[in-house]
Amino acid sequence: MKLANFLFKECLGTNCLKKQLVLSLFCVFVAQAGFSQQTVTGNITDEQGIPIAGAAVLEKNTANGTATDFDGNYEITTSQSDAVLVFSYLGFVSQEIPVQGKSTINVVLKEDLQQLSEVVVIGYGTQKRADVTSSVATVKSEDFVQGNVKDAAQLIQGKVAGLSVSAPSGDPTEGTQINLRGFSSLTGGSNPLVLVDGVPGSLNTVAPEDIESIDVLKDGSATAIYGTRGTNGVIIITTKKGSADMKPTIEYNGYASLSTIADRLDFLDAGELRQKFNEGYTFNGANIQDFGSDTDWVDQITRDAYSQVHNLIFRAGNSTSNMTASLNYRDLEGIFLKSDNKRHTARVSVNHAMFDNRLKANVGVILSEQTFNALGDGASFNPYIYRQALIRNPTEPVYNEDGTWYERDVYFYDNPVAYIQETIGQNRYRNTRFDFSLSYDFGDHVTIKGLYTRKGNSNIRGFYETKNHVSTTKNGQEGFASRGTDDYVGNYGQFTVDYDNSFGKHKVTGLVGYNYEDNTSEGFWATNRRFPTDGFTYNNIGSGQGLQLGEAGMYSEKYSDKLIAFFSRVTYNYDDRYLLMASMRREGSSRFGEDNKWGNFPGISLGWRVDQESFADNWDWLSNLKLRTGFGITGINAGANYQALSGLKYGDYFLNNGQWVRELVPSRNANPNLRWEKKEEFNLGLDFGVLDGRINGSVDYYNRTTKDALLNYSVPTPPYFYGEIAANVAQIKNTGLEFLLNVTPFQTDNFEWTANLTYSTNTNEVVSLSNGEFQLTNDFFDEGYTGEPIQIETHRIQEGQPIGNFFGLKSVDITEDGIWVIERPDGTLVPATEATTDDRQVLGNGLPKTYYSWNNTVKYKNWDLMVNLRGALDYQILNFSRMFYENPTISYNTLDSAYDMVYGKAVLQDVQRFVSYYVEDGDFLKIDNVTLGYTLPKDAIKFAQSFRIYASGLNLATITGYKGIDPEVNRNRTPNDGIVPGNDNRDKYPSIRTFTLGINFTF
Amino acid sequence: MKNILNKVNSLRPKILTLLASLLLLPIACTDLEEEVFSEVTESSFVPSESDIISVMASAYTPMRFVMGWQGYFDLQEEPGDMFVTPTRPNGWDDGGTYKRMHFHEWTETQWQPRNTWITCFNGINSANRVILQVESGELPVSEEQASAIISEMRALRALYYSMLVDTHGNVPIIASYSDELPVQSSRSEVYNFIVSELTEVIPNLTEVVDQSTYGRMTKWAAYHVLARVYLNAEVYTGTAQWDNVIDACDEIISSGAFELSSNYSDIFSTENQGNPEMVFAIPYDQIFAGDWNAHMKMLLPDHRLVFDMQAQPWGGSSCNPQFIDSYDANDKRLADTWLMGDQLNASDGSVVMTLRKEMPSIYDCEFTDGFRCGKYEIESGATAGLSVDFPFLRYTDVLMMKAEALLRTNRADEAATIVTQVRLRSFEDPAEATVTGTELEGDTTVEYGTLAEDGTIDEPGDQSAVPYGRFLDELGWEFAAEARRRTDMIRFGVYQTKNWYNHTPQGDYTILFPIGLEELNTNTNLRQNPGY
Repeated sequence: MKLANFLFKECLGTNCLKKQLVLSLFCVFVAQAGFSQQTVTGNITDEQGIPIAGAAVLEKNTANGTATDFDGNYEITTSQSDAVLVFSYLGFVSQEIPVQGKSTINVVLKEDLQQLSEVVVIGYGTQKRADVTSSVATVKSEDFVQGNVKDAAQLIQGKVAGLSVSAPSGDPTEGTQINLRGFSSLTGGSNPLVLVDGVPGSLNTVAPEDIESIDVLKDGSATAIYGTRGTNGVIIITTKKGSADMKPTIEYNGYASLSTIADRLDFLDAGELRQKFNEGYTFNGANIQDFGSDTDWVDQITRDAYSQVHNLIFRAGNSTSNMTASLNYRDLEGIFLKSDNKRHTARVSVNHAMFDNRLKANVGVILSEQTFNALGDGASFNPYIYRQALIRNPTEPVYNEDGTWYERDVYFYDNPVAYIQETIGQNRYRNTRFDFSLSYDFGDHVTIKGLYTRKGNSNIRGFYETKNHVSTTKNGQEGFASRGTDDYVGNYGQFTVDYDNSFGKHKVTGLVGYNYEDNTSEGFWATNRRFPTDGFTYNNIGSGQGLQLGEAGMYSEKYSDKLIAFFSRVTYNYDDRYLLMASMRREGSSRFGEDNKWGNFPGISLGWRVDQESFADNWDWLSNLKLRTGFGITGINAGANYQALSGLKYGDYFLNNGQWVRELVPSRNANPNLRWEKKEEFNLGLDFGVLDGRINGSVDYYNRTTKDALLNYSVPTPPYFYGEIAANVAQIKNTGLEFLLNVTPFQTDNFEWTANLTYSTNTNEVVSLSNGEFQLTNDFFDEGYTGEPIQIETHRIQEGQPIGNFFGLKSVDITEDGIWVIERPDGTLVPATEATTDDRQVLGNGLPKTYYSWNNTVKYKNWDLMVNLRGALDYQILNFSRMFYENPTISYNTLDSAYDMVYGKAVLQDVQRFVSYYVEDGDFLKIDNVTLGYTLPKDAIKFAQSFRIYASGLNLATITGYKGIDPEVNRNRTPNDGIVPGNDNRDKYPSIRTFTLGINFTF
Repeated sequence: MKNILNKVNSLRPKILTLLASLLLLPIACTDLEEEVFSEVTESSFVPSESDIISVMASAYTPMRFVMGWQGYFDLQEEPGDMFVTPTRPNGWDDGGTYKRMHFHEWTETQWQPRNTWITCFNGINSANRVILQVESGELPVSEEQASAIISEMRALRALYYSMLVDTHGNVPIIASYSDELPVQSSRSEVYNFIVSELTEVIPNLTEVVDQSTYGRMTKWAAYHVLARVYLNAEVYTGTAQWDNVIDACDEIISSGAFELSSNYSDIFSTENQGNPEMVFAIPYDQIFAGDWNAHMKMLLPDHRLVFDMQAQPWGGSSCNPQFIDSYDANDKRLADTWLMGDQLNASDGSVVMTLRKEMPSIYDCEFTDGFRCGKYEIESGATAGLSVDFPFLRYTDVLMMKAEALLRTNRADEAATIVTQVRLRSFEDPAEATVTGTELEGDTTVEYGTLAEDGTIDEPGDQSAVPYGRFLDELGWEFAAEARRRTDMIRFGVYQTKNWYNHTPQGDYTILFPIGLEELNTNTNLRQNPGY
């Protein structure tokens, strides 16, 4: 056991010790040879038919054993006549097979469903699943969502209870949105810390195809070791790695995808508009008359998008060195014209061991380059273009007869095809990461390890609007160009000392460490106009005359920050029954006030493995039962630099004696008392497994309270210079339950069905928005904005209420004249024209109370089928598209439904308003990912170790009552609007449906 | 075997040293000092002489909110009888904000009054900050300079308070830059503060009127502000100060530093910086100070073609037909102020659109309903930031203030002489320009009452004669769209009593705006104005 434990702890993903084990066993075997014997040969593979190298083959009740070679072949000579062979490999269920005279025994090892021996990556180390006392989920690559995923997070969409991953945008440059256990912060967002092989990175640092497993640290006791950014959980990405004595392999993974718009909004087409004219409707603005054409504007700017992804991984190793090299190419098209994303990623990692494997070194490089067209200045997508396609008169032509763009002078109304075609833009990013680490094992239970990473990102952006763009044809810019570039460098260093020992039934590990991180960002941006020709586009920005005329812009900035931490952790295991983990991190951030830079983040968790108790010995049906509880404090760093620092800036211009000079003003309201936002979390969990793990799962309850939550707090001016100050004022509470259930209802040699179910709930409350220093007379503030012409806030954050409340007028009826009837909070009814902002009330909440998923894997012979369903319940969505376009009085094109009777009584004749009629239930069930795969029989192909082809669909079908395109809408904090979950913005890049054909093979 | 192990053993210390030096190196670092690059820290900043004006500038720049989005112009004009922003085909309901302004049904979240509060206090705060920096010796100034700067800042602070005393009345008096939570003062205390501050600093202010003092608080600008608060003293305190108005105006008149502009339109031209009327201007510039977007709110999108603009205006506000009807047909200010009828394409003279006077309802107007304000020059190539300098205090106002004070102190004929002098430039025939004292004492020519959709009077409401109503009309015609109608209407008792367009009176309390919810929320010393 001790050896096994050592193996788990020290040789994650490598076979180094297995070889030692095999060698020592071999010695024993040689020494004891000489009885009546039989030689048995065979081959060991996993369920995909891939040979398992280094699997152990032991003759039961003897010391006789061997291990499989590179190709999974073994040969063993038994010592007894009634010999029973035991086949085992880490992470797989061991099998015992009596020899009974057979000379060939081929074995297919099945994965260990209970995964008790699975290695779980926790902060700065690993732990055996059985020893874990906090809430940690692990998803291996074979369980990943397959197909054209956006980033690493989408690989585990619906696989982890309590972790919501959604892809609300179809933009190929946009990633997923993640929320773990609700909103714990008002300004810190909900993005978790992402570690890529131990170093902070992003969900795009490595290609999804290059990932071996993803671990999610959920509760505070687990994440406290990451103090600073542990509040929203920690996602630990482990890349595919080479291992010692690994046969050289080349793995290819490639696919081609077709994406289409998931759903289209039903606007009036040309025929329908003409019908409205015939019915006597008159319109202003866009639809003022029939212009004689028939144009589907959304069709004009969208397409079927084809994408391809190729990934190659080379892996090999001998006894002292191993290496991994991978190359990934993604060429993604978006559904809008000119919307794309191309990315190359290369990764090389070389491990070398010396001095009896005591000294281990790793050198790694990750490089990537990303290029995409920019339809907005510096941005992939310009939502204004999509809006123009929706609201444009369908009887207008795209072109004039002379071939120029057809344009009209209507308020905020431009030809969307022209907008796309007359815009030229490109963003290119380069990301580098250099890793170097050394560790030394003193052999007497102590290992020291140091790691240094240098990270860098740079980008260059170019953007040009030609002289045929409305910026010139309507606004006289004579060509508009912008160029921008940003640069980031970061240093990350880590030093740890590990201790690991056993004393009888006591097992102890210890860890102390130091962490250093600095980040420096710089940016430059320039604009110009009045170009002599369109020929240069953005490449000769000095040739524009705007610079001389004072119409050019220029901007640069630089800023930096630092994080430094000391940490320690102890685990204790008594007899595999009682488990303890305690950790402490002391972390400092440069962003806080002089006396408040450092914070302490302790975590403690306890576990009791009930099934290991003697009284459970007879409970044969029980294979695992563990009670866990934990408490931990994590922190959130200030969102921006320098908020504690009194700074000065040169601001607006002032006319002094005929010359314009800049004013000198404070940069901000500095808050020298700015300190860590701290979240305290209590977690109670239960892991169980019955019937040999055919049914296993876990239940977790959490209760988290965020104290000193940061908020841009409104303050009086004067005495303050500005109306807001960053301050630690709020208190937020989240409680929830999470269930995970893995079931294998059917399992035969040829057929297996496994199902995985998750269910999680979250309840959120803003406990307080004031502290001793900062007080509000009222206990709320409003966030979100409808935009013009409605121009009102959408959400209210109020003490005693959950985050995400929609706040507006409650519509209950409509007058005969088509004016909304509003129910005031006191129950009285008034027409909307007489309602005031005081008549607003809570209309719903945009954060789902429940998420659930049901993932199925069916294997039949060489076929595999994955069907993933997931959904969310009990939340509302504000349908902006209906709020703006389901109204026949507006001066733009409308939804077909604008002419329907509201409440069955009258067609709407009111102005556009934010009323509860547009707040819809968002509950949904998605058939999200279906994958059908076929693995070629091993003997069908000679050249490859394995070969699989598959077809997959993403976002296939949605069952919902929601009338918009997709009920999975933005739920994250947005920089401009704040926390406004459930706002389905009318300009959102529509979500997409994707079909994929792919192959994987390994040489 | 042993050899190798020995070798390993002998290497081991070296390896460990290497490891230690590589890995322990950063341990020394626990320094979390913030490094700045693209801003300066207050603690390390040493101002030079050239920074003095930059520091003072921060107290002036907030004034540019006057013609900015939902700024002082909106606050003074939207609740009046001249400007209406009705729902139009492209929106302009905007959550009902303009209707609430028209109906006087604003709430404490209404943005226009909040913007005025926030911006004025921003200016006051900055002025106090400059004074503190001068007094503490932080700025490198001579004693003489120090006294001049402090006087100028106090006068500017009084200017901001002259706006607040009018809009919110009961506001905190903040005379120093400190951490103290401000304490509310009564409207008459604020009035007294403005009067005493101006009286005290006027002797120290510059009398120079040239480029070097353009857009700055001179002695004459200070007298002008003083005259304005005296003019409204009865509203602010209950006690009129007509003689003080005349004295303050006479100081400016007798200085000889200003004269009437011979051409009315010149006062509002793009290059109006040298106009002899300017007592205090707020300079705007398309490049350097593009805060003026009031014209974008008034003009139609198609005015881009009419004025050859480099922007497409938004098309909201237009003139109440009742006010248009009050003009004398031969008053050139009608055409100098309002865009009416056919709007011609700048390039070929073709008719782009035709504006009509009628505006059926605040709930439903076409784009071309209602005449638009064309008083401020829209030059060819104009953008969303107009380059006209705003004549916040102009000489005609000095004359008219004096005339009003004379009129109200039974010297109507003297008043009529001044008003006639002002009118002369706006009429071809001097005889038509002439008004008599009796006329000025008469009723207004505006036909008050709410309008039905066809433009006829729907609910006449209070039809009693307005004392000196004709003088109010004169103010309206002369100072249309100059961000002051509300103040004038209150002083003449019209604002709180009459019906106009879709408006009916809501009561005297609407003379003051409510203090903003956010302001009440963050400063527990503040009490809401009565009636809200």
